[in-house]
Order: sequence, then C-alpha cells, then structure tokens
Amino acid sequence: MSKVECDHCKLEFDEKVMIKDEVNGEVKYFCCKGCQGIYHLLRSEGLDDFYQKVGSNKLEPPKELEDDLYKFDLEGFKKKYIKDRDGLSEINLIIEGIHCSACVWLNEKVLHQTEGIIEVSINYTNNKAKIVWDSDTVKLSEIIAKIRSIGYNAYPYDPKIQEEKANSARRDYYSRLLVAIFATMNIMWIAIAQYTGYFTGIRADMKHVLNVAEFFLATPTLFYTGWVYFKGAYFGIKNRYINMDILVATGATLAYIYSIYAMVTGNGEVYFDSVTMIVTFVFVGKYLEVLSKKSAVDSMDSMLSSVPSEVMVVKNGEKSLVGIEEIIPGDIIEIKPGDKIVIDGIIVSGEGSFDLSSLTGESREVFKKEGDEMLSGSIAIDSVIRYKATKAYADSMLSTIASMLEESILKKPSIQKLADQISGYFSVAILSFSFLTFLYWYLFLGSGFEKALIISISVIVIACPCALGLATPMATLVGIGVASKKGILFKEATFLESMAKSDIVLLDKTGTITEGKPKVVNMKEYEKFDKTLLYSLVKGSKHPVSQAVASYIEDENIDIKEIELNNIKNLEARGVSASFNSDRLLGGNRRLMSESGIEFDEEFGKTVFIYAVNNEIKAIFEMEDALKKGAKEAVSEIKSLGLEVVMLTGDNEKVAKKIAKEVGISKVFHSLFPDDKAKVVEELHSKGKKVIMAGDGINDVLALSLSDVAVSMGSGAEVSVEVSDVVLLNDDIRLLSEAIKISKVVYNSIKENLGLSVIYNAITIPLAMMGFVIPLVAALSMSLSSLLVVGNSYRIKRKIK
Amino acid sequence: MSSGIVAMMLGVSTFLGALGLLALLWGLRTGQFDDQKKFLDGAKFDSEDELNDAVILEKRKKEILKKKKEQKYAPPD
Repeated sequence: MSKVECDHCKLEFDEKVMIKDEVNGEVKYFCCKGCQGIYHLLRSEGLDDFYQKVGSNKLEPPKELEDDLYKFDLEGFKKKYIKDRDGLSEINLIIEGIHCSACVWLNEKVLHQTEGIIEVSINYTNNKAKIVWDSDTVKLSEIIAKIRSIGYNAYPYDPKIQEEKANSARRDYYSRLLVAIFATMNIMWIAIAQYTGYFTGIRADMKHVLNVAEFFLATPTLFYTGWVYFKGAYFGIKNRYINMDILVATGATLAYIYSIYAMVTGNGEVYFDSVTMIVTFVFVGKYLEVLSKKSAVDSMDSMLSSVPSEVMVVKNGEKSLVGIEEIIPGDIIEIKPGDKIVIDGIIVSGEGSFDLSSLTGESREVFKKEGDEMLSGSIAIDSVIRYKATKAYADSMLSTIASMLEESILKKPSIQKLADQISGYFSVAILSFSFLTFLYWYLFLGSGFEKALIISISVIVIACPCALGLATPMATLVGIGVASKKGILFKEATFLESMAKSDIVLLDKTGTITEGKPKVVNMKEYEKFDKTLLYSLVKGSKHPVSQAVASYIEDENIDIKEIELNNIKNLEARGVSASFNSDRLLGGNRRLMSESGIEFDEEFGKTVFIYAVNNEIKAIFEMEDALKKGAKEAVSEIKSLGLEVVMLTGDNEKVAKKIAKEVGISKVFHSLFPDDKAKVVEELHSKGKKVIMAGDGINDVLALSLSDVAVSMGSGAEVSVEVSDVVLLNDDIRLLSEAIKISKVVYNSIKENLGLSVIYNAITIPLAMMGFVIPLVAALSMSLSSLLVVGNSYRIKRKIK
Repeated sequence: MSSGIVAMMLGVSTFLGALGLLALLWGLRTGQFDDQKKFLDGAKFDSEDELNDAVILEKRKKEILKKKKEQKYAPPD
C-alpha cells in the first residue's frame, strides 16, 4: 500500500481510499469529493495557477458546511455588521482555512472575478478581510457562497468595538516613536561634535550652527513624542498625584528652555541631546505597553464572533427569525442541537444536555429539563428545546461577560510603580531645591538673575535622568531573563513588581490545581471479561470519560489492540454502545444502565463508568479529576512566602472542598460563574488587596483580566493566555511559587537600585546647587550611577540559582 | 571650513532624512505595513493579471458609483 498526495489539499492518504479522476489524460487523486470539486472549479475558472503558487504547502480539506447562508441576508445581520459607505456596502470578515499566501491570492482572485465586488483586502497574518461591494448587484450570501465554494469559510466580526481603538493607538505610538528615534539618532552625531568641541575648542559660530541644528531636532521630539508625558502630567495634576510623567515633562521642558536660552545668548552649553534621549528612552517602554494590549483584542474578536445574530422565536404557533436585540422577556425561543444560547431563560418544553464549559470550565455536560434555567453561553448538544426568555439580550449572561471583558481590557488595574512613587517625591524635592537655589543665589549672594536661573535649572537637569530611570528596567530585565529560563513568561516587566507586592493568590481548580481531565482511580471487577472488547468500545467515543477508561486499560495492558465492533453508537450524555458477534456491549453512566433496564443500586461519590455485556454488569470504573504533580508543595510554598491562597471553581461544593483539603487550601469559593469570579476579585480589590489570579479556561478570562497579575497555563484557552500577564509554559503549578519568589528578589533589588541612585543624586545635586556643575561632571555622574545600577541588577542572577 | 557650509550640510541631510521619515509615516498611516507577510508576497504575485484585475475593479467602482448618482438625480416620472 502506498501513500499518495491529494491533488488539491496535498495531504497524504492511502491510495485505496482516494478518489481517482482522469483530467486531460492525467490521473489525479483526491481525498474527498470536496477537494475534487474545488479542483475542477478552479480549472474551469482558469485559476489553476493556484497550485503552482501553493508549492508544497498543505491545505485544509473543505468541511461540510450546513446551509445557513440565508442568515447573511437577514435584516438584523445587516444592521449589525454591514456598514454603508457612499451607497456601497462594507463588511469585515474572518476567513477560516488560510494557510499560505497562495490562499490569500486565490480568495482575492475569486472575489475580484465576482460582479459587483469593488474592493477586497485580506490580511494574511490575522485572516481578517475587508470587502466592499454593491448590494444591488450581488448579495452578501452569494459572496460567502463563493468563498465557501473554494474550500474556505468566512464569518463576520464587528471591528468597531475595540480593534479600531487599539489599532489607532498602536499606530499613533509607533509614529511618535519613529519621530523620536529619528531625532535621537541625528542629535547623537551632532552631540559628538559638540562634546569634542567642548574639550578641544570650537569656534563660537560653528557651535551656534550645531546648537540650532539640535534645536530643530529636539523640538518635534519634545512636543510630538513628548506630548504623551504632558498629557500624563496634566491628568496627574488634575487627580492630585505626582507621577513619572511630571518629572519627565518638567525635566525635559526646563532643559529645553534652558538650552534655548543658552543657544540665543551664546552662554553655556545646550542640553538638547539630553532632552531627546530622556523622551525617547522612556517612550520605548510606553510603546511596548501599548503593543501587548493589541494582541488581547485580536483574540477576543474571534471569541465573540460566533454569537448568532438572530434566534428562532415561536409566536402563535408560527416560527420566525428575530434579531437578538429585539427579544423581550416572555418570548418563546426554539433552539436546535449545536446552537449557542444567547439569551437567558427557562425551559418550557424538551430536555437535553448542555455544554457549559465556557461558563464553568468543567468539561462534562449538564442535563437540563423543563423548568430549569438556561444560561447564555452554553451550547445545546443533542435536542430541540423551547424556552422562555427571562432577560433581554443586553442583560443576558453572555453579553454581560462580553461587555465586562471589553471594559476591563481597556482599564486593567496596575499597581502603581515604586519608581513612580519615589520619583514623585523626588521630583517635588528637586523642584523645590531648584527654587531655593535660585532664591539663594539671586537674593542672598546677590548674583545676577541670569546666573541664578542657570544654576537653578542645572539642578533639575542633573537630577533628572539616568540612574533613577534605569533602576527598575535593569532589575526587571534580569529577572525576566532568569524567569524565562525556567519556563515562566512575564509579558511585561512591571508585573514582576506587581507580583512581589501582591498579598493574595486565587487559584482556579480545573486545569490549574487539577489536570482538568478525569482519571480512573479504581476498577471494581464483578466478573471476568474480555478487556479487548471494552477497549475497542471506549475507543469509539471521544468523551473524556471514555478516554480515561481507554488510557487506564492501556496502562494495564501495554500491547492491547483494537478490534472491529459493529454499530458503535455514541449516546449523548449517557455513554456508548456497540455489538460484537451476538453480544451487546454497553458502557456509560448510571442513567444509561437504568434506561436499558439494568439494576444497579450501589452508591459512588465519584463519576463512574459502568461496563455491561448483554445487560450484565462486568465492571465499574471510578474516576476523579487528579491533582497536578506538585500542587500541594506549590500551595504550601506560596503560603510560606506570606501570601494567602484561595481556590475558585465553577464546580460544586463537594468536589471543591475535597480538592481544597487535599492541597491544603482552607478558603474556597465554589459554584461560581465567570462574573462571580470577577466579583471575588473586585471585592478583594475594594478591601485594598493586590490579587494574583491563576486560571486557564475561558471561564476565568474575566477574573484574569481584572486581577492585578493574571497567570495562565501555556496550554490553556487562547483567550486566557492572551489576557494574562504571566504564562507558565509547561503548565506546572510549581512554577507559580517560583515566579513569586523571583519577583520578590527582583523587587528588593529594585529598591536597592533606587537607593543607590538617590544616594548618587544626594552627592551631585548639592554640587549643582553650589554652582559647580559643568558638562563633564554631568556626564561622569550619569554614566557612573548607571554602571552601579547595572552591576547591582546582575546580582539577581546569583541570588536565584 | 565656514560655518555656512556646515549649516547647509546639516540642513540638507536632515531634510532628506526627514523626507524618508515622512514617507514611512505616510505608509504607516495608510495601513501599508499592517500585513507584513502579504506586503512581501505582494511582489511574488505581482504580474500583468493582477494589474488587470486592479484596473477592472477601479472601472467597476466608477461605473457603479456613476449609476448610483444617476439614480439619485433621476427626475421623478
């Protein structure tokens, strides 16, 4: 048997299963009808260039898609996603299945060939597309059908919410950064000439030319790039606190004004180079902050885009589709298997199981019947259900979570930085020192106004920049390096500091403390049975419980092999059944047994999987969500570092208490929905606590985004990794205590650094006040103090082995 | 060397650099760097066909806009 490549998607399969097709005398192979269809379509449209462009890239075989095209032409949909620009329609789509640039080419090409389409631009990096078309010539559903016909899928998203905001902020900061870097680089080489001239002598007219050139470069930097500090300083003053922005703004502005004075009068040195460098270096840090916000927004879009825009409403026996915004409490809504529920309500007829994983984080489904409450965000798995809406869309669980998340991403609380606080007092002190110096020289010593002014400004200039600014970044950079070697990823340096200052750790249960998957802990054998049959049965199901049984059998019998069973059926929320020769095999939960008339009255506190052959119970498997390796040690270590540990979970009280007891956590919040978890975080905040939250699921995202430091597991849901500040790469909870330890060491070293730079300033500032400051002293003081700070930071490496 | 010459050299070189910076900022604001990969691949898939497509799209847009305009100003029958 040889493997051949599918001529469309390039995936390799066995020759036997391939569809053979003769095209122009050549034999072509296809893995499925979909690939074959697309191949012929592309050929007939003259687009077979595509295959040369694809090269050796593999594609995704087209999926069977349900026929839901009609929904793209509904009024509610149009209102929500389609924008009108001068009589033309515009929509933003996310295109699924793009793997290479040839895919982008093909999609654009096909859409270009469609009558009525005016503009198509597809972004390869995030698969987002913008399409402009004339709605009189072609309908959106036809456009989507075109995209689907070539093997891709498209769904709309609404970019106006946060993406545009984040994008324009990023663009704005990037332009400011570019201007700053351009000016700094140019000023640097002019400054070299200036400094050389200072030591070897320079003609006054030449010096003046250089001064003016520096002036022209420093001005845009201070007022365009530095605008951010002026704004920050303004807000700081308005809200009555002194921040780093004020120090940078006053320092840079005063140095700038002094330099203009020096330039015009020709007396003394200009400090334009210091102005641009201060502005630029501090700005780089701000820019990195903006960058990390953007990616969180990107992944949120794909999470929210799967929300349907219309639901089926039953009124007077008639069914009709109604926009979700128009639903009022009391409407009867019908849902089909696979539908996502968007409006909260109470079931009036029907029963079935629901996937609540995005709300509770638990993978097992929940059975609901008439009279039970339904929460938006859950997904109907197996039955048609009618329910009565109890809330409007805007008040429902799902949209509440979405809007809360949106808000919290934009205003994430961050612990005010220590350097900020110190530099706050520091700048007040410096400003008053310089004022006193001025008074002293002008009134007391009776020197001229000019001289007094120059000396008082030089106090500010020498006090302003380096060591203090470097104290925090140097220490954190070293700390981040040490952490990443251990598999702890700090997304931003400041979180090291926030973490060190935190006093409470919230841990999610599933996936953080426990593995998040059931594991067989005990097998009770009633009768001897053929393990191969059971193994083949459970292999037929993808349910986590069946998989747990399968891996248990694999562990016991290493060389077990699957055999072929007949009529394998997955019974939703019950288990799996099959037949072998004349035997009927059944495996599943208690409900499956009682429905098949098998009596069983033993009680188990855990999830059980019961295996029966011809209605006779053979064995029972008890399972449990096992603790992660080292969870207990990690918890006690975090406690010994002086932090309080609390467990949060969407699971019920019994399970929660048991797990908490095993790992040694005394405080537990159980049965929480995502917004409840967030409320816990907010409550702790209102008590003035600094919170570290560790979690891995979609249900933790809200709490993560609100906490001071959000920690997620590397393999967790994509959204939770995106909103988190610290990622534990190999999912090991022991790394959490390690991370806290590192952060404490780094924090101490930051304090030492700040102390050093304050001492340094304590020596140089009096010199400046006495009027001794010449550029040479300033330059020496700067580089010496920086070297001290850098050296001290490197000691972190030795402290953490 | 007279300071006038130095001033001119500094002026010209800074001006040229600033032109480059402005071009970069313009590209940034019009979204030309939003998709790095496509930006590079654009050169790979840039042939006569693509040019024709672009022209066809332009024409189509003009026609549709013209039609819309005519419809708007059409006198009522």
